[in-house]
Amino acid sequence: MCFKNLPIEFDEQGNARLKDGVADPYSYEVTELNPLDQDEEKLQKLMARNGHIRRVDFDPVTRVAGALAFHTVVDLENREVLETDSMATLFRGYEVILKGRDPRDAIFISSRACGVCGGVHATCAALCLEMAFGITPPPMGIVARNLLLSLEYLYDHPLHLFLLAGPDFSEPAVRETNPEIWARAEGAPARGKALHGFATIGEMMTAMTPLTGSLYAEALHMTRVAREAYVLIGGKYPHPQTVVPGGVSATIDISDLNEIQLRIAKFFDYGQKVAAIWDDLVDFFYEVNPEYRKVGQRPQNLIDCGQWDDPYAFDATYENSDAWGEARWATPGVIVEGELVTTSLQNVNMGVEEFIEHSFYEDWTKNGNGNGDGSPRFPTDPAGNPLSPYHPWNKETIPKPGGTNWKEKYSWSTAPRWDRRAMETGPYSRMWITAAANKLPHRRFIDSTGHSLKLAVPGAGLPAAEVEWNIPTEWGAFERNRARAHAILYTALIAYDNLLIGLDMMRKGETKVSTTYKVPKDFRTGVGLWGAGRGYLTHHMTMDDGVIDNYQILTPSTWMASPRDPFGNPGPYEEAVAATPLLENYEKPEDYKGIDILRTIRSFDPCMPCTTHIHTEGRVISRDVVTCACGVDDDHEH
Amino acid sequence: MDENGGLRVLVGGVGYRNLRDGSIGPWVVEQLEGRAGGGLEVEDVSYHPVGLHQNLTDREPYDRVVLVGATARGREPGTLDAYRWDGQLPPSEEIQACVSEAVTGVISLPNVLVVCGAFGGFPDDVRVIEIEPADEGWGEGFSPVVEERIPELLEAVWTSTEP
Repeated sequence: MCFKNLPIEFDEQGNARLKDGVADPYSYEVTELNPLDQDEEKLQKLMARNGHIRRVDFDPVTRVAGALAFHTVVDLENREVLETDSMATLFRGYEVILKGRDPRDAIFISSRACGVCGGVHATCAALCLEMAFGITPPPMGIVARNLLLSLEYLYDHPLHLFLLAGPDFSEPAVRETNPEIWARAEGAPARGKALHGFATIGEMMTAMTPLTGSLYAEALHMTRVAREAYVLIGGKYPHPQTVVPGGVSATIDISDLNEIQLRIAKFFDYGQKVAAIWDDLVDFFYEVNPEYRKVGQRPQNLIDCGQWDDPYAFDATYENSDAWGEARWATPGVIVEGELVTTSLQNVNMGVEEFIEHSFYEDWTKNGNGNGDGSPRFPTDPAGNPLSPYHPWNKETIPKPGGTNWKEKYSWSTAPRWDRRAMETGPYSRMWITAAANKLPHRRFIDSTGHSLKLAVPGAGLPAAEVEWNIPTEWGAFERNRARAHAILYTALIAYDNLLIGLDMMRKGETKVSTTYKVPKDFRTGVGLWGAGRGYLTHHMTMDDGVIDNYQILTPSTWMASPRDPFGNPGPYEEAVAATPLLENYEKPEDYKGIDILRTIRSFDPCMPCTTHIHTEGRVISRDVVTCACGVDDDHEH
Repeated sequence: MDENGGLRVLVGGVGYRNLRDGSIGPWVVEQLEGRAGGGLEVEDVSYHPVGLHQNLTDREPYDRVVLVGATARGREPGTLDAYRWDGQLPPSEEIQACVSEAVTGVISLPNVLVVCGAFGGFPDDVRVIEIEPADEGWGEGFSPVVEERIPELLEAVWTSTEP
């Protein structure tokens, strides 16, 4: 039984149904929040009595993609975080923009949701359209998509590890926030020297220095290698021009595949090097102070749709999604408290709800919205599984800007939950689920063992090697970064596997990359169940009369930047920061920089453009803003 | 000696499409494309500035780069500024912030200057033609105040390419 909180049970054949005798199965009571700093008088007294209790606001959180503000109350004497609020400061209006448009526009418009990984949205939209149109891409078209996805990740992961999160572990940052750790690092031998070339941890930290460090510069270079390979099929990056319903519109020949192979091979050495660097770095911090294991800790609750379709298994139907889902190179699934509870894509989809009690939206199930009587538009999915009124297929985006109030509404992110639990997602969720499920059908280079992934890296500049990523026993910020470092190899090997499959198809003359289609005029539903560099990604759509009727995008950072849910439970960023011990070295409160909190937030690789964008006058999308969300004295208008 | 007095000049437009005045850079490129040749290259450089730095450092060096786009600096909308960039870079932390924005998809003329200035690829002679936008909302066409300045803007760009 994978659902503990939703009123769903399974019959003997494994079909899901609502439990009998539950009158209003998805209803819930809203728990009133009592944030510490909502009671200004109480907080002022506390701060006056104890000079170590402070409000610390990160607005914006820098070195993340887009606009995220994070509010905390910290106790610098007891070195703990007392209060956390994650605030997505902009509204993403794509759902509103897409309404009434030709469904094919979704590929190109949703791509603009992100400046890092637009291609994942384009492909997710294509998957969604294929389901709605009833078409299946030819195998070579699926291989092409798998290559695009891999190459996008090979851009994304180095960027995160050395440009966004990496600087928090660089010499200048460590010197400033924990000089005693820097002193140790200078003399600490690095175990992976043979792979990465650094004799000490200190040398490695110096190389991670922003702008001038060799690892920083190398990461910039490697992002170019990935982009060069991507555009051979995608046409351009990050917004590909060749993703279409039913495959890709690019002509792919042997020369393209050879060019891509040359570039993928560069990630075999680089991936080994990066994995060794982060292994050394993480282990060093744990040795210096085991408390670092607790930085960014939260329950082991993870979700992923899986990705990289088997070219011969994927048929784009919802009815068969459990089968083609489990044939993916990344197995779909959900981990709850460290245990794998399902690998069924339909169960993953069925358990999702989005709540807006603390978000700047109106409830689409109330006030005459939706069907007007509180009943869901879709009580079941196309396979007959029950759906919540709060499920994305039933959701409508009704923005309701208002003042920021930590007790009421404070974010443009919704609060997605699976079985009413806060979930995190990322390269680590896809690796974790794939490792734990041990259902991987393609094991030429990757083996899942139930507790690890064994990565058989072909020889390039470095000799061939086996690298193993183990499911961590403790889960926090450092392990997120370690897993992401290993994800470079995992991704490169999937890319290589697909490339070899593509070459084989070419030898057999299976070169067709797309299929023909007509845009249906009758009512259709579709869902793209896919992934982004940062994890879970879905696009849910209904269409009628040849145009989009409703479009809902659910991104990884919406899951993780979420505010509290109606049950009073925090979102993953909030939860992880609240559990973070303050290990920074400061003598006076004024010296406090917040490095442990920042390491925690950045370990999730926030991508706020995917989560939110500004939207005014019904149709304006713009870039970035800085929003002071920091006080409770006034309600801040948005 | 070629038609441009031997100068290799790149005119680069920077901006987003379909964002009204914010689209002026790419639009200018479209207007001037027909005049390219003889040492003058015209290119839409509205992609992430780290990529532009990488591309510029791969190419034979230009003698001059002319960048054109809309930049909101709080001036009177429609204000046209043409100047030679002094190459001054902000503090390291600001450069880092610009790099983070660049790699995560933000396209802006000031960001191009900072990132390419810091990482390399520019010649000594970098000219900037920028206009203060009145409307960066979603849609085609320019605000009246920017529309009015377009002939001057094109003239300023063209003049900046001359030896």
